[in-house]
Amino acid sequence: MKNKKILLVEDESDLAYTIKIRLENSSYDVVTCGDGYDALKKAKEEKPDLIILDVMLPKIDGYKVCRMLKFDDKYKHIPIIIFTSRADDASRKIADEVKADSYITKPFEPETLLSAIKGFIGE
Amino acid sequence: MKKTNKRKDRHQADGLAQLKAKYELLKELMDQIPDVIYFKDRKGRLVMVNKAYARGLGLSPDEVIGKTDFDIFPRERAKKMVEDDWQVMVTGQTIVDKLERATRPDGVDNYVSTTKIPRYDKNGRISGLIGITRDITHRMQVKQLEEEKEKTKKELDVLQEINRLKSEFISIVSHELRTPLAIIKDTLGVVSDGLAGDVSDKQKELLQKGDTHIVRLQHLIDGLLDISRIETGRLKLHYSLINLNELIIDSADFFKKLAQERGISLKYHLPSQEINIFVDAERIIQIANNLLNNAIKFTEDGGKIALELKALQDKVRIGVIDTGVGISRQDLPKIFDKFTQFSKNSGMERKGVGLGLSIARGLVEKHGGEIWAESKLGVGTKIYFTLPRFYSINILNKNIRDEINNLVGTGKTVYLISLSIVNYAEIKVKIPSKKLSVDLRNIIEYVFNSVIGHSSENFEILCIDAKRGECSVILPGATEERANKVCSLLKERIENYFRESNIRNIFINIGRLPYFLKKRIKDFPLALGNFYIKRIYIGLNKRGAKRVSYRVEIGVLSASDEAASAHTVDISHGGICFVCNKLLEANKQVTIDLRLPNRKVPLAIKGRVAWVSPIEEAKGEVHKYKVGVEFIDLKRKERNVFKESFKRLNM
Repeated sequence: MKNKKILLVEDESDLAYTIKIRLENSSYDVVTCGDGYDALKKAKEEKPDLIILDVMLPKIDGYKVCRMLKFDDKYKHIPIIIFTSRADDASRKIADEVKADSYITKPFEPETLLSAIKGFIGE
Repeated sequence: MKKTNKRKDRHQADGLAQLKAKYELLKELMDQIPDVIYFKDRKGRLVMVNKAYARGLGLSPDEVIGKTDFDIFPRERAKKMVEDDWQVMVTGQTIVDKLERATRPDGVDNYVSTTKIPRYDKNGRISGLIGITRDITHRMQVKQLEEEKEKTKKELDVLQEINRLKSEFISIVSHELRTPLAIIKDTLGVVSDGLAGDVSDKQKELLQKGDTHIVRLQHLIDGLLDISRIETGRLKLHYSLINLNELIIDSADFFKKLAQERGISLKYHLPSQEINIFVDAERIIQIANNLLNNAIKFTEDGGKIALELKALQDKVRIGVIDTGVGISRQDLPKIFDKFTQFSKNSGMERKGVGLGLSIARGLVEKHGGEIWAESKLGVGTKIYFTLPRFYSINILNKNIRDEINNLVGTGKTVYLISLSIVNYAEIKVKIPSKKLSVDLRNIIEYVFNSVIGHSSENFEILCIDAKRGECSVILPGATEERANKVCSLLKERIENYFRESNIRNIFINIGRLPYFLKKRIKDFPLALGNFYIKRIYIGLNKRGAKRVSYRVEIGVLSASDEAASAHTVDISHGGICFVCNKLLEANKQVTIDLRLPNRKVPLAIKGRVAWVSPIEEAKGEVHKYKVGVEFIDLKRKERNVFKESFKRLNM
């Protein structure tokens, strides 16, 4: 069976690297990118099974990326996990409004992230 | 000829009389004026002075005529005065309102303003001068005071700005520290988990050690962020109804292993009934953890630690009691300050940066509670904190509710400040309620006037219930900062007031409830909690229980103040407080039908009457009672319903 594909959008490339290692270790294919513009482009080209999306991104911020995908009939089925260091209520509320499927704050426990992914697309 | 002479004489006499009258008029003017007035001739000799001049020297006007300044004043001063005189008489230029320092004959320094005008003779030559001197010491003092006030205000503003910048700086820096730290942690984690190749046991152990210290650093940063949030008033609480007994057990269990390793016995004492309370559970756990952590840190191996929970009338008290090293008397008042450094011999100088207690205090106070410590060196430390159970104990009548509604309707934020001297009953003998009522009013007026200025529209004392040691004040259009300032000053003043009467250990709870105007009025009630009681049944179940009539007057607001919501009860923390015209028995079990926002079916909840307090009406008659009912036997479902209701409320 083909591995499930995850698009990881994170502008801290070193953090993206370690997360990529973890995800690949759990047999997911991982595509990474570091800004909001690339995120939209890759989401359309690569057709990932799930997107992990940082919020504070260059060019287009994560909430906007999320809204553009979630309000597009072609892509709204892709689960999006908002992945941010903002833990306040207002940020959670925005995540709800842009129809994100899950919200994980940094610093994160690797198990939390992995079990959230598993919940959406299986192993 | 004779006739003409006579007429001339009469003319002259009339003229003299008129002249005299004019002279008298002029003299009266000169003598009545408080300013000093004098006429000098060309040689600087006094020709005429008024009473004020002579009075200032302690002489009579006649005694100074013909004298010069050198005859009257000390040489140095006379010299200066004469210089000015010469300037006027030589140049013909007037000196107006010249400010001078002077010493009065009684030795007091004062400020005077001097005006000197030249006099001319018939030929247009200068023949002397007129001088007027006015004492402006008072005006100068007022001006100086104003300048000082302005300066102090500016300095205060600068200090507040610095404090704000500092908190903001901490916040930004902490955020910036978190990201790289998270990356380091995860990088070590990937290696340690063997995802980047095989790792030996020794290597793994070292990596895990590194991880422990990263976690320590993360806790420190979280602590700094908490402090900065507390100080800038940005800390938000997320209330839910929790079982406090369970929380205490969980907290104690969490530390059990750590205590056992050190041979410390860790026990908890709980009240027989369960206590349900509206709090931010995570924050209360954080407080308990901070206190327990400290207790273990500062207790020798083999010592004892107890965690106790006590239900008092309108609050609960949680205590952490240890047999540790103790805190010296000079250090005790400082322990809740951040970054406290202890004196060397106190045993407290080791471990930690001293943020835990400071955060605990901020969190407790944000909940409307209080925290304090008792300690003895070598014996141990007790730290207690309280949480209010029946928050808005004061009952607002309809007029006041309407008033708050109107204010909120104009777009202002209204703060309701509720003050309660919790242990007033104990000290009633020393300060009777009548005296307290008057004194409280004075203190409140003083505090509010000094924080918000002398406009009577700015605040209003809603009620002073001196019998219970309570009062409520509304403060429209205030900022959180200002409300905080009022609260802390109020507390300080009241504590001082009791201290002056030689009463210590006074326990004051101050609640600050903000009423906001939300944009979406329709689906977001203005109220802090628009629960209202539908019915109260006395007895364990509805069937066979007696229905009690009631009348609730407490003010909780809703946008459209419908008839039904006139029967609103307060939000309270883990219970309800209302006015009832039947005398309920304390400890009696009751069932309450609660109507909650956005729920069609009333929620039937079991409660226990925690306290009853009569409300005296005119002529000393009692027809109404304030009742506090605490919830008991709450089911999970009921808790969730409460939680959902409270989520919608801005607390």
